[in-house]
Amino acid sequence: MGSMKEDDFQFSMTFMGLALEQAKFALDNLEVPVGCVIVEDGKVIGFGSNRTNETRNATRHAEMESIDKLLEQWQASGLSQSEVAEKFSKCDLYVTCEPCIMCATALSILGIRAVYYGCANDKFGGCGSVLSLHQSEIKDVYRGFKCTGGIMSSESVTLFRNFYEQGNPNAPKPHRPVKTTQ
Amino acid sequence: MEWKIIHVPGRESNPDQNATVSVVASNVEPRAANNLIRRLSVMVPLENLHHVKRIRRSTSYGKVELSVILCLSVDEEDPLKGIPNDVLELINEYQLHPFISRVPKIAASSREEWVQQCVHWPTSYHPPANLDEINVFNEEDSKAILGFMTLAIELTKSSHLDNQVFNAAIIVNPSAKVIVASACDQTDSWPAKSVCAEKTNSNDTLTVSNGFHISDYKQNGEKSYVNVACLNPWSWSQHKPHTCSSPVEHLTTHRWHPLKHAALVAIGLAAARDRILFLVPDQPKDQSVESGFSSITSSVKRQKTEVSKDQGDVDSETCIVSHVKCLPSVSEDTSRPYLCTGLDVYLTWEPCTMCAMALVHQRIRRVFYAFPNPDAGALGSIHRLHGEKSMNHHYTVFRVSVPEDIF
Repeated sequence: MGSMKEDDFQFSMTFMGLALEQAKFALDNLEVPVGCVIVEDGKVIGFGSNRTNETRNATRHAEMESIDKLLEQWQASGLSQSEVAEKFSKCDLYVTCEPCIMCATALSILGIRAVYYGCANDKFGGCGSVLSLHQSEIKDVYRGFKCTGGIMSSESVTLFRNFYEQGNPNAPKPHRPVKTTQ
Repeated sequence: MEWKIIHVPGRESNPDQNATVSVVASNVEPRAANNLIRRLSVMVPLENLHHVKRIRRSTSYGKVELSVILCLSVDEEDPLKGIPNDVLELINEYQLHPFISRVPKIAASSREEWVQQCVHWPTSYHPPANLDEINVFNEEDSKAILGFMTLAIELTKSSHLDNQVFNAAIIVNPSAKVIVASACDQTDSWPAKSVCAEKTNSNDTLTVSNGFHISDYKQNGEKSYVNVACLNPWSWSQHKPHTCSSPVEHLTTHRWHPLKHAALVAIGLAAARDRILFLVPDQPKDQSVESGFSSITSSVKRQKTEVSKDQGDVDSETCIVSHVKCLPSVSEDTSRPYLCTGLDVYLTWEPCTMCAMALVHQRIRRVFYAFPNPDAGALGSIHRLHGEKSMNHHYTVFRVSVPEDIF
């Protein structure tokens, strides 16, 4: 049993490493560095990174990007709604930062099996920080998803720090003067 | 029921509003008061009672009396029981006569509550920053708000098919009274119904530029709300592919998408409009881009081909084109806004947590909705997302109550 857990741990590290690569891709494109991969049967079947600046659409988080790509793919291959739901129920998401309230709801709507995340999201995290949407039980309709945080979180935090040091080009003008480090 | 605009506060009025906690207080000499308070606030700061003022000034028999809170009380009967030693020393030093008093447990959330609280003991009151926004709607504002709400509901009605009803979202620039984007739920594989409605200030013309017209809406028959995405976000997988004999479908069928709730679609359209109207300087430009409307349409087409190459998201791009064509004014203000800053959204139903958070992300200023969402609503029913202090943006929320027979 112990070795199983060790395997799980190795798995998580590998997949989170791939999610971090996605986050770095976002950083290189002057986007808030968050990335994710979607895993089915131990294989990465989808990935995505934040594209909020490029699209000027603040809802284009890594999770939404990867979900949209998968949905398109599955529909193109002719899967029905119930078949797609069945697919999602066997998928896990690895994301470098705790899903926000919007993404956590989206993941619950899709019925994803489990979420593994890096650092917590104190401002609008939807998996325990502000709301706990992964635990929301809706009568017989929905039972929530399994959620584990803190996987390689220091790596995710470092990326955020890099991003804010280079400055968010798309942020609104601050109301108060910002301290500039020399 | 009359039309009425009701503010939805960010937090529920607390049932503990009248609760009090007991404290040990004492009358003090006016000249000792300052010094005493300074020492007490270091010795025994009143944690969790920051709204309570340490000192009370009252007049009895024409004489001004000052009372100071020494510390929280342990025993209702005996003020001296459990008092910290350093406070006891103070009591001896200033020859105080402690008594038990009661102070409000939580801060007042409205001016009325505050006035009531201060009967016990003076407290401080900080009105919410956006208070001026929630109290006054002049006649013109109200008329515009009700007008846009009507439009959203009309959009819901016009989206109907086989008596299925969808949620609708309209993003509005309130100062120009102009629609920026509008959309219905696109969770199911119904014919595309991204409607573009244009409204003039006079409030009496409504054109809906799609295959349906409002008059097509059947007045009889039971309406089903099953497909209102925010009401039943989890039920998408049970939906059956729609078989429809309508000729419209062959022309513009869009694919189903469990997350394409009206608000998200509208945000996507607003963002697309933003990209078109306010090109980033370093982006390669058409020669004709600066010269007005036709060039903007051409840049849409260019963007359309680019996007469909990349993503093949033809449906929403088709919508963009229809939207841009009926934009009331193109780029009068050349300074690019940040996302939807300053814009309002009108929804037929209260949004779910996904949509409510999306509207926070996109920096919407005010949210208006007509009907509550008892099982999944995030702005008053299940959660009050707009009252979550941790978030980096807060919008104001209103429910517009409409006549029940509006459908």
